[in-house]
Amino acid sequence: MKTMLAKLMLAAAVIGGGLQAASAETANIWVRADGSNFMPRIVDAFNKAHKDQIKLDIIPNAEIIPKYGAAAAGGTAPDALSLDLIYTPSFAAAGQLEDITDWAKSLPYFSSLSPAHVKTGTYKGRIYGLPFSADSSVLIWNKKLFKQAGLDPEKGPTNWAEIEADAEKVNALGGDIKGFYFSGNCGGCNIFTFTPLIWASGGDILSEDGSKATLDSPQLRGAIDLYRSMVKKGLVPEGAQTDTGANFFAAFAGGKIGLSPSGAFAIGALNTQYPDVDYGITFLPGKDGGWSSFAGGDNFVVTKGTKKIAVVKEFLDFAYSLEGQTILAKYGSLPVRGDIAKEALKDLDPRYQVAAEAMAKGKTPYSVVFNDLINSANGPWTQMINEVFFGDDVDGAIANAQETMQSIIDQAPNK
Amino acid sequence: MAEAMSQNRKAAFSLARHSTGMIASVLFLAPIVWTVLSTFKPAQEARQPPLPPWPTTGFSVENYQTLNTFGDGLWASAQNSIYVSVMTVLLSVLVSVLAGYGFSRFRFPFRDFFFVLILSTIMIPFQSILTPIFLVLTKLGLHNTLTGLVCVYVTLQLPFSIFMMRNAFDAVPREIEEAARMDGANNVTMLIKVMLPLVWPGVVTIALFAFLGAWNEFLAALVLMTDQSKFTLPVMMTALQSGRFGAIDWGAVQAGVTVMMVPCLILFLALQRFYIRGLMAGAVK
Amino acid sequence: MTAITAASAPVRSRAGVSRRQWVGLLYVLPAVALVTVFFVIPLGMTAWMSLNNWPLMGEHSFVGLDNYIAILHDTRFWNALKFTFYYTVIVTIAIFAVAFPLAIFIEKPRPLTNLYRTAFFMPAVVGFASASLLWSWLLNVDSGLFSPAAYDIGLTEKKVNLLATFQPAFWSIIAMVVWKVAGFTMIILMTGLQSIPQDLQEAAVIDGAGPFARFRAITLPLMRRTLALALILSVAGSILAFDQFYIILRGGPRNQTLTAVYWIFNQSFVSFKLGYGAALSMVLLVILVALSLVQLWLLRKPEGLD
Repeated sequence: MKTMLAKLMLAAAVIGGGLQAASAETANIWVRADGSNFMPRIVDAFNKAHKDQIKLDIIPNAEIIPKYGAAAAGGTAPDALSLDLIYTPSFAAAGQLEDITDWAKSLPYFSSLSPAHVKTGTYKGRIYGLPFSADSSVLIWNKKLFKQAGLDPEKGPTNWAEIEADAEKVNALGGDIKGFYFSGNCGGCNIFTFTPLIWASGGDILSEDGSKATLDSPQLRGAIDLYRSMVKKGLVPEGAQTDTGANFFAAFAGGKIGLSPSGAFAIGALNTQYPDVDYGITFLPGKDGGWSSFAGGDNFVVTKGTKKIAVVKEFLDFAYSLEGQTILAKYGSLPVRGDIAKEALKDLDPRYQVAAEAMAKGKTPYSVVFNDLINSANGPWTQMINEVFFGDDVDGAIANAQETMQSIIDQAPNK
Repeated sequence: MAEAMSQNRKAAFSLARHSTGMIASVLFLAPIVWTVLSTFKPAQEARQPPLPPWPTTGFSVENYQTLNTFGDGLWASAQNSIYVSVMTVLLSVLVSVLAGYGFSRFRFPFRDFFFVLILSTIMIPFQSILTPIFLVLTKLGLHNTLTGLVCVYVTLQLPFSIFMMRNAFDAVPREIEEAARMDGANNVTMLIKVMLPLVWPGVVTIALFAFLGAWNEFLAALVLMTDQSKFTLPVMMTALQSGRFGAIDWGAVQAGVTVMMVPCLILFLALQRFYIRGLMAGAVK
Repeated sequence: MTAITAASAPVRSRAGVSRRQWVGLLYVLPAVALVTVFFVIPLGMTAWMSLNNWPLMGEHSFVGLDNYIAILHDTRFWNALKFTFYYTVIVTIAIFAVAFPLAIFIEKPRPLTNLYRTAFFMPAVVGFASASLLWSWLLNVDSGLFSPAAYDIGLTEKKVNLLATFQPAFWSIIAMVVWKVAGFTMIILMTGLQSIPQDLQEAAVIDGAGPFARFRAITLPLMRRTLALALILSVAGSILAFDQFYIILRGGPRNQTLTAVYWIFNQSFVSFKLGYGAALSMVLLVILVALSLVQLWLLRKPEGLD
């Protein structure tokens, strides 16, 4: 019955221009600042082609949660928002989101939607979020520096030993040039770029359902040793140790870093803001080859009880069309529909193909307390990575983080 | 002979005193002066070694211009800060002058209770009640508004400024009031025409403290303002310094810090007398 | 208007006088209303919220003392509190070590004294946020002052990241706070010094007491109240420290400089456990009120000899 209704509403939204002519509605949508490039474009395109309109608000990344919480408490929440996908479980757990399971499953291309997004959009078997924008982590290298260092500028490293060897060669160029960069005090950056090294080697830091912290994995220890070794050899700039993410992208863009784990967003950002930097893109490898990636981006979620749900669905339908997917791809997000990804990307920088492939096979940790565990600047993950990369007591730091993370998971409400 | 010795010792003492004073002054002023000078370096030079502190390749206001391109811009945040500070000054002066007069000149039920209630808020750190303040503002529809922030700042100023104003009114002899009343002034005219000029130094003092308090406050502004277009200077500058707008532009950070410091320094230099007075009043009581 | 008041003034009865006193309530009403809405009610709500599980989104539920029991096991809070006390003790000693000599230096009016006093005091009018931003630049490893300058003139082999490990980071903050606050404490101490009668000092000189003996026997005891006040202001301010650790260090390196207020901020406004944050606030509040009571006890006796 519900499905029928949803289909009817969908039909009304698609054909019903005439029906709605009298009452074109405007829905309010929020997006975090990371989407400030592509979101206005797709909203413009939608508004031009439809009677119903979208009013877009762009919110700074760090503020979207408190602001949404305050707005929800004050009854002024937007009708829908494009939300960092890792937060979908905790928003759903708080009972703020509309259950859109039936509508989602009625989409003909449901099965080709980004699996990482759908997984994080699902809470207790119901779907609360659908993929909207996507970003995957990759490894980027500076071709010019590779050439100067006598390396093959067209070939990125394919395992850990090669990462370290390449970084060392670039570092030997001396002066301001350093081999490798990562933000050593940024939990969010490192869950995005460091854990894929572990995943690609067969380890993990959280159990599949997010109920257990598994920091005692030997693969984690191995990846730590790789970073420690590079820090010890002086391949990493001093500033990395206190970088809370401010330099995550800027360091490589400065053109003096050989290799840096980064994200698909870097392709668009480098091409437009730093056209002089010649760079290559490859997968984040495992210890002895293989690769993995963090499938990140935004889920599209609907505020519980909103009256504009028809408009919201209309908008999402548009975003999923080939036109919508192409607009997204052109302005910095990877496509989220696997079945038409190739087509949407066909006229763009070929390096996007690597990132799109990484996205399709990417992984996303699942937790209702993701922020407390991982992203918080004072959370256990952030503290641990800083200690294990730069400190003396690696085992102690891991044990401590394991204990703290487990206790946060155990105390989580509605887990 | 002895006279000459003593002269020499005096000179030596004076020399030692002034060299100590100079060195200490330089230490205290250097960070401020250094920052202000550095802001006039061109962006290119700002990334070079920090010595010497002054611009060597030409004077430039580039850093101030860049600052205006972040978020909603320096000017927008400065306007927010000015609005909040000025409103805090006006409101807290108004409320404290009224209350100071009331507490000083009238004997009404619960007078002492109210006075102690207001003063005792100074013992409780507002940091510990920020969450409910946030919820109260939400209930009043004032969350994420500069007006809401002003209300909070005024409340924070009240214990100090009401205490100051009551003492100021207490110091005015009652005879003056009696005389004015004989001349037929009612309460309000009396307060404005007769009393206010007499307590004017106190008013300047509390206005100064209210301005500095509101202009510099960080935690409440950070927590209560979530909309970027409503950031005050300290919050907007912290966002900039944390790299939220991409790479950190230290030249712009220095420029922002300068904009934040200069009004305080000017006000202080102009009204130093009143500031020290306020501190002493607090210290003596 | 004036005429009417003039006419009615002489015929005021006793009841009129008492009514006139009631007018006072109107004068203090705005202040009382503000304090009630933005202080008393929030304070009551803090107490109530601390007994609830109160997320930012969704329903809150009464949990009794669960939050307080959780605090007992919250090692990160106790570590933050421990650090806060450690910082308070160190920074207070450092501030007094700088401010007391300065106060003695500027106590007597001599040539240029006012100039020096103004110079020492300047950083105190700069806000904590501005001062922290300023110093976060000075302390930055790549673009700042200390570390690149030391490297440029050959003091260090490479640029040292001052904020990367606990000791240099902690002492950098201490230096910054002393720079910012010493002038303020200096003025307060100066008032105390100036209130000591000059003839007492002179009498002691005639009795042959040296400068140190005079300081111990006259200056310190006579300044007890001022010292206590300066101490309380410094201690209360330090226990509530947040801006400098948030802006310069983000609680790092490795969360070693998380203060109590910082932890409450994190729990309330990053993790949005509003009820738990309220319980933490109540604990901090009790600690501060206890300290205030100690303050009252210190100030209870009348000042010195007279």
